[in-house]
Amino acid sequence: MSDTNSEKIVHGMMAEFTTVDTLLSACRRIRDAGYTKTDAYTPFPVHGIDKALGIKPTILPWICFFAGLTGTCIALTMEIWMNGVDYKYIISGKPFISLPAFIPVAFELTILLASFGAFFGMWALNGLPRFSNPMFTDPRFDRATDDRFFLYIDAKDERYDAAGVRSLLTDTGSDYVSEVLEDNTPKEIPRPIFVIWGVAVAASVIPLLCVLLMRVTNSSQPRFHIFMDMDFSPAKDAQQVTSLFADNRAMRPDVPGTVARGQLIGSLDVMTGIDVDSLQAMNAPQAQRLVAAFMQDDQAAIADEVTDVAKAEDDKETPSVMDTTPWVTENPMTVDSELMARGQQQFGIYCSVCHGMDGKGNGLVNQRAQEKGFDTWVPPSNMHQDTLYSDKYPDGKLFSTISNGIRKMPGYAGQIKVEDRWAIVAYVRALQKSQNATMDLIPEGRKEEVKSAVDAAQKELQRQADEAAKAAAAREQK
Amino acid sequence: MSEHAAPKFKPADDPTFSLPSSLASLQLPLLGGGLVALIVGVGMAFAAESESMPRFGFSTYLTAYMYVLTLALGSLFFVLIQHLVRAGWSVVVRRIAECFMILILPLAILFLPILFSLFFEGRLFVWTDPNFASAHGLDAKMWATKTSFLNAPFFIARSVLYFLIWGGLAVYYWRGSTTQDETGERAATDRMQYWAGPAVMLFALTTSFAAFDWGMSLAPMWFSTMFGVYIFAGAILSAHCLITVVSYVLQRHGAMKDEITVEHYHDLGKYIFGFIVFWTYIGFSQYLLIWYGNMPEETEWFFARQRGVFGGLSIALILLHWLVPFLGTMSRHIRRRPGLMAMWACYILVMHAIDIYWIVMPEARHLVHENIPNLGGALGLIASILSIVGMTALFVGLGLRVASGNRVIAVRDPRLRESIVFENL
Repeated sequence: MSDTNSEKIVHGMMAEFTTVDTLLSACRRIRDAGYTKTDAYTPFPVHGIDKALGIKPTILPWICFFAGLTGTCIALTMEIWMNGVDYKYIISGKPFISLPAFIPVAFELTILLASFGAFFGMWALNGLPRFSNPMFTDPRFDRATDDRFFLYIDAKDERYDAAGVRSLLTDTGSDYVSEVLEDNTPKEIPRPIFVIWGVAVAASVIPLLCVLLMRVTNSSQPRFHIFMDMDFSPAKDAQQVTSLFADNRAMRPDVPGTVARGQLIGSLDVMTGIDVDSLQAMNAPQAQRLVAAFMQDDQAAIADEVTDVAKAEDDKETPSVMDTTPWVTENPMTVDSELMARGQQQFGIYCSVCHGMDGKGNGLVNQRAQEKGFDTWVPPSNMHQDTLYSDKYPDGKLFSTISNGIRKMPGYAGQIKVEDRWAIVAYVRALQKSQNATMDLIPEGRKEEVKSAVDAAQKELQRQADEAAKAAAAREQK
Repeated sequence: MSEHAAPKFKPADDPTFSLPSSLASLQLPLLGGGLVALIVGVGMAFAAESESMPRFGFSTYLTAYMYVLTLALGSLFFVLIQHLVRAGWSVVVRRIAECFMILILPLAILFLPILFSLFFEGRLFVWTDPNFASAHGLDAKMWATKTSFLNAPFFIARSVLYFLIWGGLAVYYWRGSTTQDETGERAATDRMQYWAGPAVMLFALTTSFAAFDWGMSLAPMWFSTMFGVYIFAGAILSAHCLITVVSYVLQRHGAMKDEITVEHYHDLGKYIFGFIVFWTYIGFSQYLLIWYGNMPEETEWFFARQRGVFGGLSIALILLHWLVPFLGTMSRHIRRRPGLMAMWACYILVMHAIDIYWIVMPEARHLVHENIPNLGGALGLIASILSIVGMTALFVGLGLRVASGNRVIAVRDPRLRESIVFENL
């Protein structure tokens, strides 16, 4: 038998046993004889066979442990990066990095990677996936899944010596000892496999073709919606109508008494421009109505309380509410260059269209209205009149006017933030001061600089005026 | 069939199957000492009551009582679940659990002081105080609904029902198992397995509701559907620990030398490891939802446990009740060393006591807004420790008393041999 197979590669030697006990004692014999590249094949798990074969404890638990730990770290890093650094988003009012919310994902990823570690680690340690095994060449090995037990010694083992191994295995009580030879069945992939593979590839193209077909053909049928509520979200958009609420508004107003996050800027003084303590002393019911209006977040009521401007302006006999109200006289914000820059920017956006960049009341809207001669047009105020200076028109009153409007001017409370309205107040004060400023106000160090700038500006203005005059004269001559 | 020497099956009357005399003689000292320590401890606890902890006395007793009750209930569940799944491995240690399970009966008597507290309005359960709702500005209609469940007569009726069910189950499974010691009839096992399913359902319902009544109703405005499961998680974890420790001690004193093997410690260790994670999982599930919802009526309970000394205790529980034993019992090599496993089991039994203390004691605080619970000073701390130690000694003493009249292993269980030769893969 060995002669006919002499050209084939020998993988090792296997022995067949009929009982677990003979297998186990054989395992112990070859273990004690010093063989290490061994394996046993049984139809069912046999307790203690790892010890009998002298198999070293597996490192799989460590792989599993560190894979799990990796999962924890990846999950926590990902979550902290995503919600704490890269895309900060307030969820349910929690801190950006809030561990309790991160635990479930960290837990899941720990389990997932630990399972992967255990499963694929087992594959790697066992050399899987492996589609064939030289043991299969022996037809007797089929019974390894039924009622026979096999022991295998690999030829790569240092102590392997065909004759010695054969006698050792025969000695352990095996009836059948045989060399495990190279599998000599053909190695080409069988033809039917190609057919099946070809059919599978062809079949997998069919759905793609269907998609393509549907993309290029027209159909009179309505579109098929797989996810109805994703295509037609039941959520309402802003300004939409709903029958769910008595007021038919889909957009819900704030719950009375609540203040939206970031909306509580400071005291009522800051929010209204009114010195509420003084108002309380002067006119307690009105102060209480004002506070109540704020508690209810009722914009209309606030406007009613703060101004009765239209009435008051026409009726000069009785003192206007605007005059009797104790206004805040000092800008509650810290007035610095930053606030001033902000005020200039906001003024440029919201105010200058009517009041002009210089605040003289001749913005583009006013110019256009004058040109068209609208008879309902009330020209915007020129801010450079002494009735609007801070001694007659306190900062709080100016703030209130910006917030609630006056005459044709609408209130800007909805568009401009409280801090920005105060910034505009500060900027308007600076604008007013700019018209009456003297050189004495300039700090000593910067006088020269300002003087030369003013001179240059005056020269430029002069030049422009001269040019305009020349051009006019030239037109005249023509 | 394996590496182990072929097991020798001993006859049913083998002396190593009964309680070693060295342990049996500890009964009286444990019972007497335990009772004295308990009485002194609870007495001191009443003395430690203060303005900030007005319900310290009864709460201390409840802490000690809930601790041993969870041990007994965990043991009862252990027995039920082994029958339910027809487990083979656990037969050698099941009698240990049965000895503690039957202590439900004496524990019913030890429950009387808690019923007694109902006569003193608001001295343990604040809902017994008729002025509670008005004093704390609660909505009268809502309070009326609450008290339709939380009132003394219904509370007593429910408590009696719980003890009837637990006692009935304990007696049924105890009789079945001990009678089998004499007769060896297989039918007894079949019968016990047959009833295990309904028994587990009854157990789940009663344990959950008992946890609501005796633990959760301490804070009557607070509610958590997870609370019953949380108590159960602690109970089943500590029951496995108790079985491990007692197995080890029994073996050290010569009982069941060859029957309980390293394989059983390994399995108990796996369950201990698993239930540590289960306890954490349940505790965290309860916390996560309440933390996320952030509704004052739900966060109140955790809020009281986030400040002062109980805040530290909460963190300590996470680290010492989960992280340390989780890593400690993770390795197979540790689980296969009975001495180490017994040590870890002792450790977790101490942690479980702290867990119960953490559940009950903060509710003894004065229920005014922002009042931070405390340990009741040195006197209160000593009182709490004495009470828990005393109650535990009493419990163990009673367990020894039960065990001394019986065998410590189910000698004629049809699966005993399977259990003895049991091996982990």
